[in-house]
Amino acid sequence: MTMISVENLSVTYGDLVALDDVSLDIDDGEFVTVVGPSGCGKTTLLRAIGGLESPTTGRVSVDGDTPEAAQSAARLGFVFQDHTLLPWKTALENITFLRKMAGKDPDPEGARDLLATTGLDGFEDARPSELSGGMKQRVAIARAIHLGADVLLMDEPFGELDEITRDEMGVEILRLWRENRKTVVFVTHSVPEAVFLADRCLVVSGTTPTAGATTDDGVGRIVGEFDIDLPRPRDESVFGSEAFGTQVARVRQALHGDE
Amino acid sequence: MSVASRVPFPDVVLPVSGLVAAVACWWGLTAVLALPPYVLPSPVAVGTRLAENPGLYLSNAVETLRKITIGGATGIATGFVLALVISEVSLLRRAIYPYLVAARVLPKIAIAPILLIYLGVGFGTAVLFVALIVFFPVVVGTAAGLNRAPDSHLDLLRSVDADPIRTFLSVRLPHALPDVFAGVKQSVTLAVVGAVVAEWILSNDGLGSLILVASENVQVDVMLASLAVLLPMGLLLYGGVSLCYRAVAWR
Ligand SMILES: Nc1ncnc2c1ncn2[C@@H]1O[C@H](COP(=O)(O)OP(=O)(O)O)[C@@H](O)[C@H]1O
Ligand SMILES: [Mg+2]
Repeated sequence: MTMISVENLSVTYGDLVALDDVSLDIDDGEFVTVVGPSGCGKTTLLRAIGGLESPTTGRVSVDGDTPEAAQSAARLGFVFQDHTLLPWKTALENITFLRKMAGKDPDPEGARDLLATTGLDGFEDARPSELSGGMKQRVAIARAIHLGADVLLMDEPFGELDEITRDEMGVEILRLWRENRKTVVFVTHSVPEAVFLADRCLVVSGTTPTAGATTDDGVGRIVGEFDIDLPRPRDESVFGSEAFGTQVARVRQALHGDE
Repeated sequence: MSVASRVPFPDVVLPVSGLVAAVACWWGLTAVLALPPYVLPSPVAVGTRLAENPGLYLSNAVETLRKITIGGATGIATGFVLALVISEVSLLRRAIYPYLVAARVLPKIAIAPILLIYLGVGFGTAVLFVALIVFFPVVVGTAAGLNRAPDSHLDLLRSVDADPIRTFLSVRLPHALPDVFAGVKQSVTLAVVGAVVAEWILSNDGLGSLILVASENVQVDVMLASLAVLLPMGLLLYGGVSLCYRAVAWR
């Protein structure tokens, strides 16, 4: 069943074409990663799906309805690169806060359980300034799950973490996804991360050689689409496997064009 | 080991010693040079003035305090509300805000004689003057603060279609509080200055008037006694605001 449908979506900022005629369908419960160089329109795509950016042309639907309707129903859980935790609230308060803002019934038990399963046991009363970068992103992810969203829209959530924490967080997010069965759109500029996480990996490119683009930025298009059939559940051992290496190489090739 | 670390309660003992030493020097100076009281009265003389007629100083202090608190509260509230309005209505913001910032360099004290012409002498005029002086730092600070919430935090709330009042109370206002209080702290200092100036020009009571009348009669001891009441009053107000800020601060 299709959860997210994007049809001929273009977004322009003045003269700059950030997204050019993008179409894609994402199934319910699917984990889709979007990889591409910076400035190619990944964030714009994610924000358009989440209703934070309106299409210049084309349409987006979430479970057959508009993104705005999905927002009102608290079905969209954003996780930004910047953790967006409120500095004056504790970890636990940050998790429950968004659900409250969405006007949903409080679920303090659920929040505590989630805190524990995301490895934040004992940190419920810690402020963001007392948490490491990885922990802050755990709280941000827990906040989106606690919201009860059906769709997680993640914009380079591990972009500011060191590589080791990043790999750990990847394993973690897959476990949470297994347990909660959300539809995930995960934006990253790391090819290994994109391959490791995905059911399907979309490659976005900012330049379109055929169109004779004059700028490096903008004109974001999907230039490749890969089904990642690595067995699940996946853990760190996947990184060393041959199949993983092959997939990464294929995605890299799509990113850099046929050289 | 430094001297300071060997003194018990250095944060209290050292400043208190400083004060005692200063008063002692002052006293010594007046005694040794046998200065006449109209040049510089001794601290004992000032203390005696206070002790002779505490009611006079107390009632005038109450008058000054009323101007500070009523004028201050009015100015702070007005400044806050206007900042709210201009932060919501960008057209207004662009039309007014530059002048509010610029008005900070205007010596507001110069407005007092103008108020006098239109409104005459009285408590109301004095309160209005204090409110006016206090208003500017609050409106500028609050307006800046209400802009402080990062876009990503606002996007987060937009992504769940949170209503504007919730967004304001739970994200924009807390982000603004440090700036709001920075403005309020400035205005406490200004309110004390404003009240005293108002009592010179716009009203006939309070510690400001007491100082002015004493000056005309060359009663330096009365002037110093008035200041001795004014100083702790200002400090207490400032301390009170700082404590309020601590209670709500997160930075
Ligand atoms: N609000 C905006 N106004 C103007 N240009 C923008 C805006 N948002 C993004 N862009 C431009 O659109 C292009 C795509 O941006 P973005 O989607 O953020 O790329 P990515 O997330 O892949 O790095 C970039 O060239 C960026 O400068
Ligand atoms: Mg981006």
